[in-house]
Amino acid sequence: MARVSPDLPLRANLSAVDNIALIPLYQGHFNATESGRQALMLLEQLGHAGIAPLRDPDMTPAQRFVTKLARALILHRPRLVIDRPGAMLYDVPYPEFIRQLAGRVEATGVWEIHDFAWNQPLYTP
Amino acid sequence: MNFLTASIESLGAKLTGWFSVGYSLFAFLAKAGLLLMHPGTWNRATFDVVIKQVYFTSVQILHVFLGYSLVISWLIVSIILSTARDFGLSEFATEMTIRVLVLELLPFLTALFIALRSGSAINTEVALMQVNNELDALDHCKVPPMQFEFMPRLIGGVISVITLAGLAGLVALLVAYFSIYGISHAGFEPFTLTISKVFDFVIVAGLLAKCVLFGLAVTLIPVVAGLETPKKFFMVPVSVLRGMMRVFFAIIAIEVVSLALKYI
Repeated sequence: MARVSPDLPLRANLSAVDNIALIPLYQGHFNATESGRQALMLLEQLGHAGIAPLRDPDMTPAQRFVTKLARALILHRPRLVIDRPGAMLYDVPYPEFIRQLAGRVEATGVWEIHDFAWNQPLYTP
Repeated sequence: MNFLTASIESLGAKLTGWFSVGYSLFAFLAKAGLLLMHPGTWNRATFDVVIKQVYFTSVQILHVFLGYSLVISWLIVSIILSTARDFGLSEFATEMTIRVLVLELLPFLTALFIALRSGSAINTEVALMQVNNELDALDHCKVPPMQFEFMPRLIGGVISVITLAGLAGLVALLVAYFSIYGISHAGFEPFTLTISKVFDFVIVAGLLAKCVLFGLAVTLIPVVAGLETPKKFFMVPVSVLRGMMRVFFAIIAIEVVSLALKYI
């Protein structure tokens, strides 16, 4: 299971692309250039290639979420759990934002959103 | 009676605390050592981080450090030469310079320099990572923090102390030569003869071991102190304070033991 959660922050001294590239670097044993290329490609797919050089403190909540999502997606796990999106995406209408992002990537597996019960009306179409 | 009980309790708590700190340091070192010998550790990613650490710890500060070594060496060499001349012991000036500067003072000052510059930064960074849950996030992504964050810092610290102390020693030897013999190659033979007399195998091995211990002290202690930080932001300065005090005492202890082994 891959998690996108407020409890799993980005590495603060690394850029968005480096945070994502860590996974192919350590798990896939790719070299730094190839890992960076994979990470950048994922950010491009999500429509946020521009945030690649930004570090965590310089990102907006939505940009931070996109980086965390890309980091979770590059793990290639069968389940992706988005934990309390409201705590991470307080600057955008978030069910729609997540829907847009999900439509952009060719991800396999199940996406689950775990949110507070009182936010349920936000998900009704 | 209450006072006595309280004193014994306080002493016991302190001893337990010291034991627990010592245990966590050695346990961490053992874990890092075992991982170091594991062939899977030496992948491209870890190697890249080690290179970065060596760059940040030693290459980035090289010009400042060499300037500082030059000034210190020139001062100490001048003091040794003038004192030796006053007492009619000029023929021992070279050996004294090597023993005081190259073997003792410069490695000690190098360790202090790296402790103040990199040790404090490592302690703060690890404490912030601990408080921010960044280590848990790395674990979740199956990026081992030991390989990615800690071990490269330990290796970088050891390599940096050894190379910087070596370079500072070289600068000191050059300063000593030019101060004693001036710009002439007439003194080259007696000077190199004295160097070869001082630097026998035991002395070189001892110097190397001392630099390795200094390198470990200025990186291992801050990492472990950072990892001990409770998950509260206001505890970060306390963690750095504790870590740096331990580093200071460790550096002094290593130097005292090294002097005692050599001269007593």
